[in-house]
Amino acid sequence: MGEAAKYQNRIELMQGTLDMLILKALHREPMHGYAIAHVIRDRSGEVLTVETGSLYPALHRLERQRWVKAEWKLTESKQRAKYYQLTALGRKQLRADHQRWLKLVRAIGAIMEPEVQP
Amino acid sequence: MKHWPWERAKEHLSEELESHLNMAIEERVALGEDRAEARAGAVRELGNLALIEDVTRERWGWLWLENLLQDIRFAIRHLRRAPGFSVTVLLTLAFGIGANLGVFQLLYAVILAELPVPHPEEVVRIQAARSPFDQSWTVSYPAYQRLRAATPDVPLMATAYIVEDAKLELPGRASTKVSCKPVSDNYFSGLGVAAAAGRLFVQADERMGQDEWPAVLRYDFARNTFGSAQQAVGQHMVLNGRAFVVVGVAQRRFLGDMTGYAPDIWLPLGLESTGAFAFSWDSLGPGHDVSLDKPWYNQPTIFWLVLTARIPAERRAAVLAHWDQVFRDDREVMTEATADPALRATLLRVKIGAAPLSENGMTKRFTVPLTLLMALSASIFLVGCLNLANLQLARLQARAHELSVRMALGASRGRLIRQVVLENALLLAGGSVFAFAVSRAASGVLVHWASNRNSLFTFDLHPNLPLAALGAGLMLVSLLCFSILPAVIVIRTGVAQTAGSRTKVAGISQTSRQRFRSNLLLGAQVSLSLLLSTMSACFAATLVHWETVDVGMDREHVLIVHPELHQARYTDHSEMLPELYGRIQERLQALPGVRGAAVEMCGGIHCGWITALYVHGRSDLTDAQVHGQEDHVGLGFFSTLGIPILRGRDFSSSDTAKTQPVAIISRGYARQLFGEADPIGQSVGYVPAPNDHKFLIVGEVGDARVNGAERDAPPVVYMSINQNPAPVNSIRVRAVGDPKQLAESVRRALYEVDPAMPVGEIVPLDAELDGDLGTEKLLARLAGIYASLTLLLVAIGFYGVMSSRASRRKSEFGIRLALGATRGHIQMLMVGQTARILVAGILPGAILSIFAVRGASHFLYGSVSANLIAIVWASLVLGMAGAVATLIPARRAALADPLETLRSE
Repeated sequence: MGEAAKYQNRIELMQGTLDMLILKALHREPMHGYAIAHVIRDRSGEVLTVETGSLYPALHRLERQRWVKAEWKLTESKQRAKYYQLTALGRKQLRADHQRWLKLVRAIGAIMEPEVQP
Repeated sequence: MKHWPWERAKEHLSEELESHLNMAIEERVALGEDRAEARAGAVRELGNLALIEDVTRERWGWLWLENLLQDIRFAIRHLRRAPGFSVTVLLTLAFGIGANLGVFQLLYAVILAELPVPHPEEVVRIQAARSPFDQSWTVSYPAYQRLRAATPDVPLMATAYIVEDAKLELPGRASTKVSCKPVSDNYFSGLGVAAAAGRLFVQADERMGQDEWPAVLRYDFARNTFGSAQQAVGQHMVLNGRAFVVVGVAQRRFLGDMTGYAPDIWLPLGLESTGAFAFSWDSLGPGHDVSLDKPWYNQPTIFWLVLTARIPAERRAAVLAHWDQVFRDDREVMTEATADPALRATLLRVKIGAAPLSENGMTKRFTVPLTLLMALSASIFLVGCLNLANLQLARLQARAHELSVRMALGASRGRLIRQVVLENALLLAGGSVFAFAVSRAASGVLVHWASNRNSLFTFDLHPNLPLAALGAGLMLVSLLCFSILPAVIVIRTGVAQTAGSRTKVAGISQTSRQRFRSNLLLGAQVSLSLLLSTMSACFAATLVHWETVDVGMDREHVLIVHPELHQARYTDHSEMLPELYGRIQERLQALPGVRGAAVEMCGGIHCGWITALYVHGRSDLTDAQVHGQEDHVGLGFFSTLGIPILRGRDFSSSDTAKTQPVAIISRGYARQLFGEADPIGQSVGYVPAPNDHKFLIVGEVGDARVNGAERDAPPVVYMSINQNPAPVNSIRVRAVGDPKQLAESVRRALYEVDPAMPVGEIVPLDAELDGDLGTEKLLARLAGIYASLTLLLVAIGFYGVMSSRASRRKSEFGIRLALGATRGHIQMLMVGQTARILVAGILPGAILSIFAVRGASHFLYGSVSANLIAIVWASLVLGMAGAVATLIPARRAALADPLETLRSE
């Protein structure tokens, strides 16, 4: 698969959804930035790719908002990496974001495919 | 290990991104890519690492702080690379702002500050009647009691004049001189002064004949003497031999009701009855039933109390009118000393008046000089700012290339301006710290210079709001002048124009507008500097004049010794005093290096013993003619002081208490009383004809400026101390050489004559006569300092501007030299520029100076035209300074190798 093709399959992330995706990725266990990018790409079936240039600013902003906290740990390959972990505040935020997201999807769905609605 | 948290955070971020990169590489390798290929791919995928870091750091929210600290570090580095500039700025600010603050603090304390009590505008000085001889606004104690009783609801306070040299003895300490002010019991309550500790005076404190008298201390005096206000309360002390207990300390800012004359200790008026303190007084003169030895509280003919009252403005007229009624009898008593019926009638018509406390001698004396000094200080501040602005412009223009490169690389205009301004704000902050120190020191020194030799003025010099406001204002003005404006000018115009090539910057391209701007600034500096130099020269000339003027005495060789004879062992046996004086004179004259010695009643220039002499058989003399000054002197007084005997004879040992009383009068007094006629053989007395005229005039002496070098010689009548035995206040010793050398041997000799006689200060006559030149000294010294500072600033200004111009025109000079110009020609080019600026600055400066000299002519000795010569001198000095400051860079420019400069093009 060539570079161009790879890009064609991608969808631009909607404004404000990156935070939610990161929080969701961290939902189960703490992980480092690289892993977060991986998880998002894998779970979206390679459709969503988080640019490093967006990921780290977002992570640092979340850290400053105290939705995640970070500590330095060793990876399985014995490399030092910064692991991010959800805080209680982050969990709350994730729930709220998730609710809003569902609402949005339903609303947009109702407009785009009205016949599906009962 | 880095100290700063943001530096650690930055490292962590780099590490985090690096680990991200490594993981990406590992993954690619695991997928089978070649390591180098994997690395390249991963880096490509990651994107611009530095940009990511930057964007991420922005999320931290304190990037601005980081930028600021970066800018500060950058600024400090930059300043350290230009130490000459930095030091000039720091010193200019320190002295420019410091001098202004120092002078303002004094100005505020003397002229603007109000009494630190509630409603200070209600407190007024009551002017009832002028005392017959001193012409002071004083009344007798019975008069005060009557006035006070007439209006029980109006606080009327009485104070005696301050006693400057009371002797304070504390257990276990050496005795010191303190100043005391006797005040009425309602003084503090009437003014509304609060106590910092203990209590203030109450009515019971006035009780006569107390074993231990109460005393209230000034706050700072209490703190310096006893450690704190609280500790001072209850302390026992001995003042002039009497026992006192400290009952309280007045509030911190209260320094008394007379600006400048802050007493250390306040005492009750009743203390007068002890006779332990020599209060200042006036009376109707001899023959009017005055007994100075008896208590004064029941004598209506001794005038010694100054009245102060607190009356709301709307009640003032009514209260004063009421007091006029009550005071009528006392006013009649006070006019008894006047022989002239017309004058007497006028005096009787005088009404009681009220004057604000701010109308005092201190404000009268210092308002104009201090305002003048304030103006001079403001101009030196202005010169400093102009100088800095000019240096800054030159510096920024030299940096234009650097700035333009940085702008081309993406630095924002705002951040560049911010960096330049920050650099200057740092300088300003440093300068302000120095300025504060300078102002503290300056106001202390100024008070010293302005004070009389004998008594140091005390002012409230604590920092206050107006001072802080002025300080902040000056800082802002200087920041604006030397930083913000030049930075804006250069970055707006300079950078845009020089953004091109390096050669253009180094080349000839200082625009004519830039040149004009710096010329204008330099010219303005020259003008102001000329003004300051002229004023300083005039003030200095005035001071020198008074310090060297002919005073009618041998001012350089006489020593004044102050013996302490006001003690019972001398006053109770005054008939023995002539013998003591004889022994003193004999012993002192036996000392090697002594030409003569004599005793004198007056202690110094503030003797001011006003008297009236009436001539036998003359009833036509006016009050102005009969008034003069009196002094009682010992044998050999005139030869000791170098006062010439014009007619008749000196006092002799045959003039005693038992023989005909004799007097010697000065030329001025003789002219007043007798015109050009011979005064010898005339009879004079203290009261108008036909009463006693017991003194026979036996001699006439020259006029002498006994009241101070700057005051005209008063008419004086001298009586013999041996015919009127009393304790003297000074012994005068005339030396062959420097009189100061004699001080110790005189002290020893006096100890040998009478070991029990305390000897106080010993001062040269010269110092005593110049003792009241405070204003003149203040003006001359400060203006002198200012003038030399501005001269220095102008020289620095010329040097800075001309050397930057010389380096800009290097290649031009190189071409000129290559084309055959001589080095002299190159130098003349630059000196010519300086000369044009000097002329352009000196002309308006001279006009300014003429106005200033006219305005200050009151303080200047000599005619305006004589003072204008000072302008010429000042211009010459300025010209020299400018020329020298230009020649240094001009020579450097002319000596440059033309080939070198052309090659570097």
